[in-house]
Order: sequence, then structure tokens, then C-alpha cells
Amino acid sequence: MKRILADARAFGVQYLRSRIGAFFAFAFPVILILLFGSIFSQGGSSIVPLYVQDLDGTNLSQNFTAILNATGVLEVRMIPRGIAIEDYISQNSVNTALRIPAGFQNQVFLHVTDPTVRVNVTLYGDPTQSTYGIAAAAVSGAATQFNLGVAGATAIVWTEPKTIDPGLSYIDFFLPGMIGFTILTTPLFGMTSICAEYRTRKYFKFLATTTLTKGEWLAAKIIFYSLLMLASLLLMYAVSILVFGAQATLTPMALLFVVVGTFEFTSLGMILGLFVKDSETAATVANAIGFPMMFLAGTFFPLESMPPFLQSIALALPLTYVNEGLRATMVFGNDALALTYLLITLAVGIVLFIIPARALSWKSK
Amino acid sequence: MAENVIEVRGLTKHYPDVKAVDGIDFDVQASEIFSLLGPNGAGKTTTVEILEGLRDPTGGEARVLGVDVRHGYAKIRGRVGVLPQEFEPFDRLRPREAVGYWAKLVNRTRSDEEIASILETVGLTSRANTYAMHLSGGEKRRLGIAMALVGNAELVFLDEPTTGLDPSARRDLWGLIRELKREGKTVVLTTHYLDEAEQLADHVAIMNKGKIVARGTPDDLISRHGGGTTIVLAGAGTGGYEALAARGISAILDGGNVLVHVAMAAEVRRMLAKVASIDIPLTEIYTQRDTLEDVFLKVVGARMAEGELVA
Repeated sequence: MKRILADARAFGVQYLRSRIGAFFAFAFPVILILLFGSIFSQGGSSIVPLYVQDLDGTNLSQNFTAILNATGVLEVRMIPRGIAIEDYISQNSVNTALRIPAGFQNQVFLHVTDPTVRVNVTLYGDPTQSTYGIAAAAVSGAATQFNLGVAGATAIVWTEPKTIDPGLSYIDFFLPGMIGFTILTTPLFGMTSICAEYRTRKYFKFLATTTLTKGEWLAAKIIFYSLLMLASLLLMYAVSILVFGAQATLTPMALLFVVVGTFEFTSLGMILGLFVKDSETAATVANAIGFPMMFLAGTFFPLESMPPFLQSIALALPLTYVNEGLRATMVFGNDALALTYLLITLAVGIVLFIIPARALSWKSK
Repeated sequence: MAENVIEVRGLTKHYPDVKAVDGIDFDVQASEIFSLLGPNGAGKTTTVEILEGLRDPTGGEARVLGVDVRHGYAKIRGRVGVLPQEFEPFDRLRPREAVGYWAKLVNRTRSDEEIASILETVGLTSRANTYAMHLSGGEKRRLGIAMALVGNAELVFLDEPTTGLDPSARRDLWGLIRELKREGKTVVLTTHYLDEAEQLADHVAIMNKGKIVARGTPDDLISRHGGGTTIVLAGAGTGGYEALAARGISAILDGGNVLVHVAMAAEVRRMLAKVASIDIPLTEIYTQRDTLEDVFLKVVGARMAEGELVA
């Protein structure tokens, strides 16, 4: 144990003296929390600008525009009639625009006598932008309300919006993902490049001349990264509370997830390190494994928003269980589910630990 | 007769394309400096890495401190100190921290005073709190030696400790290596510097292409393989050469100097008197003993410069 602690201490001192290491463990996750928190919390605007070209200019078309404006999520900005709407979109980099055709009012009146007549408005936009989805839903809602008004009917079914917990905000859902993200990237990227450095600078060979074993060396790294990640977690949590008033709970289960997750990803980094020869290769390999996992495991986007085949892939990724487990315990207080995910993480971590502990050789061939 | 700390018999290390070590035998006695000398690629580092327990041999036998290197090296690990070839310290550790850290890895607890004493031994007291990345090449090697010594090792392997250092730093390290011997430690030194082996080693084994081509004390090797003594008539030129030839003395014209080779040490005084009695214009007359360089040339068939064989 003395050797493990000595190695963990020496490694930690060097790590923290390297400003890059400290930046990615502490500053980088805090920057992301501040950035995403600012974008999606109260600080951000939820009003989507909608550019409208009213080619009809009648009472009914203006009435439809007024309904759009009254949705509360759209800010209608008018496009002059004398220009093609496609040109206006292109020249002004407009994300979402609506064209009300000439003859809009006449068509509506025709519909009263002939129900087969349809009145089309055209919505332009980029479906990959989240603002397009908001605008499309708002326009559809406005059209429904307009149709009811024309038909002289009233809505029967209404939606009453209510969040899962009134106290929870975007940052509460984002924080567990950020913790998972940091647990993944710091040990994984760190260990992969450390292995390359130890190999090229022949530190492994030098260590082999001592009584330190490979398992002890690995354990020392896991201890250091666990302490580092716990400190990073506390910092992220404090920033989330102080800046955004986060309500997520820092449970004992969450702390266990940090330790077990760090164990898992330190070991994974060690496995990747078995195959890398230099720092450049290390960065490439770690990025190739880490980045897809980061995005597919529900770090930034909910798993439910992904296509089914990607959700299947996500189930095979170790980070998924860390992210979902942290959300279960910190946001929903569901420690039973979190425990299941914790045990899965631990089991995978043990397997990932055994591989480098056996395969890593400090001896020359 | 001192006990053998290392015994090597018929040791081989073969790779598919090369026999890196090809059936070598030698012993290293306690408290001596033993040098493995040879050009790059001769098999020196492979040999010492086998003896350090870092590489498995293909065949033969090697025993270190009474233990077969294939089995049970863990038992003697704490008694063996190693300075690897091209040693690089941990950049962001200070020498004081690095030595303390290494002590724990070899199961020793060293007080601050003991660490300071080790750093003083290697001449790093004034740099004890400097990040290793800011040390000079010589200081880094000294730190490596301090780390190798921190476990109070009785056997120390130094693999090319002075390669790449300036002459002043090399001589400083020589002093340190002699100090290790005075403390009773056994030192195995690999080098491609002939003068280093001649200055430091009690016994030398010259390696080439995986084999030991000569071994013994430097004096033995020079006696056995060297050409004896050379009388140098500096500035004697062609006139001096012809004057010696006229008296039946065999000589070599080497630039402006004339060299008279004497094979037997007992003949040097007589030949010196004979040459001095001839009236030859010269600037200086002196004798030059053969060195390991001459031995190396004879047994390997080439000279060595910076570890490479040259014609």
C-alpha cells in the first residue's frame, strides 16, 4: 500500500503541476456548465423569430399573422412583398420563414362553401435546427386555432404544461451528463497518453527495476483519478448551485459512481494505451473511442431523442450507465435503478482492469 | 578471492533476424567496476537488461546475487540499482521528491536528511528543488544515479551513463563512479568510450556482434593484445626516418613524427638510449603506451568513434 500511495502522490503532483491536466479536470467542465447553463437556463431567449411574407394582405391573412404573434414563442418579422421569399432567406441567412399566399382569404371563403378546398401556407426552414421544430409546432398550433375560429368551433382538449419537478431546471438534467463526461474524458485521454509517454521515455522499464508491480501502478492511477474526479465533481456541483441554483442532489450513490466510473475509464484508457506507441497515436485513439461515446451515451442529448439503432448502440456503451445512473440518483432519487447501473459499471470496470493488468508488460521482448 | 556477484555462462539472446547475445561467459566480482565495452549494437544493453531482470534470455545461464535471472528476481530487486540507457527523469518532480519517491518504490523509507545526503553524494545539493526538466544532461544522469542508489543497492548497473555529456560532466561522473566502488558497491558499466573503461574498470569485456572478443583487466588486455610501447620522435621528419633506417632501426613516418615500435617492455630502455644517441633534429622525444583503443582495433579490426565502428 505504501508503494501505491507513493506512486499516486508522485503522479498526482506531476499531473497537477501540468496546467493542461488541471485545466481539463477542473476548468473545462466548469466552462461547459457555464456555457450550456447560460444557453438553456433563464438567461437564454425562448422566442423564435419567424419571418412572414404576407402576399395576400387581407384581414384574414393579417388575422392569421396576429395569431402567430400571440403564441408567445414566435416573434413575427415581416418580409416585403416585392422580393422572392427564397432570395430573402438566402440574402439574410433566415432560419425560418412563412409564406402566406395571395388569395389566402378567398380560398378560406371558398372552403366555407366547398370543404374540399384547402388553404396552404408554406414554412421554409432547416429541420436540423431546433428553432425550426419550435416554429413548425407553433405555426401548426396557430393554424388549428385559426381553423377552429373559421369553423365557429372551440377546442375541447387542452394541454396543461407541468415539469416533472417544479424545482428542477435544465442544469439539473445537464449536470449528471457533465459529470459523466468528465469521468470519461479525463482518465481515458490521460491514461492513453500517459502510456505512450511512459513507453517512449522508457519509464516502464525504469519502474520495472523497482518493487512496484503493474497492478500497484494501475491502482495508484485509479486512486489519483478518483480523488481528482471527486474534487472536480464538487467544483461542478458548487458552480451549478451558486450560478444556476441547481436542485440536483449530491447523493452517496453519485460519489460511488464517480469512483467506480473512474475505475472503469482509467482501465479502458490503459487498454488503449497498450496499443499506442507515441503521443500522436494516443490522442487519435482516445478521440476515436471517447468522442462517439460522449455523444452517443446521452451526455448532451437524451437517449430518447436518438434513432432506435443508435439507442441500441448506446446500451452497449459503458458511459451510458454512468450518465443514466447519475441522473437516476441525482435528479430522480431512484437509487434502486442507480444501483443496477452501478453494478453494471463495476462489472465492466473489473473486466477492463484485468486486461491491462495482465497484458501490460514492463519487460523488453 | 572475492565472491562472484554475477556469473554468466553461455548466455544467448536470439531474435529472428539477429543474435543479439551469442554465447557469452563472464564473472563480475564483488566491489569491482566491470565494464562491458563495445560499439552500438554489440549486445551490451541486451546483456545488462537480462542481468537486470528486464529481458528474458534465449539460452544459457545468468546468476545475479546468487539468483537465476529467470526466476526469483523479485527477491533481489531491492539490492540492485539501475540507471537505464538514455535515462530521463520525471519532468515535474524535483530531485528531492524523485529520490524520496523512488525510495518508497524500492521499499525503503528515507528521511529528509538521508535524501539530502544522497543528493550531496551525486553533487545535486544546490539543484535539489529544481524541476528535473530544468536540469542539465549531466545533472539528469546524476539524478538517475541517485535514484539507482536510494535503495542502498549493493550492485549498480550504469548503462552508458556518460553518453552525450560534455568532457567536464563525464569526468565528474567518473569521480562519482569511483566513489561507488570505494563504498564497496559493485558497478557494471556499459560504455562505448574506450578511455572511460580504461580509466574506471577493474575488468573489461569487449563485445562485438553479440560475442565477447576479449576480456581481462585493462593492463592484461593491453599486454596481451596491444603492441607494446611506441617511442615518438616528434618533428624528426624524413631525415630522422632515414637516419634510423641507416642504422637498421625499423620505424614509421607519421606526418612529421617518426614512430619506433617496441614490442617488449624490457626493450624500451635500451631502444630509447639507442635512438637518443643518433643525431637527429627533433623537437621532443617521448614514449607512448598502447591503450585499449589499440587493443580494440586489434581484436575488432576497426576503430570506434561515438559508438560506431569506423574503418
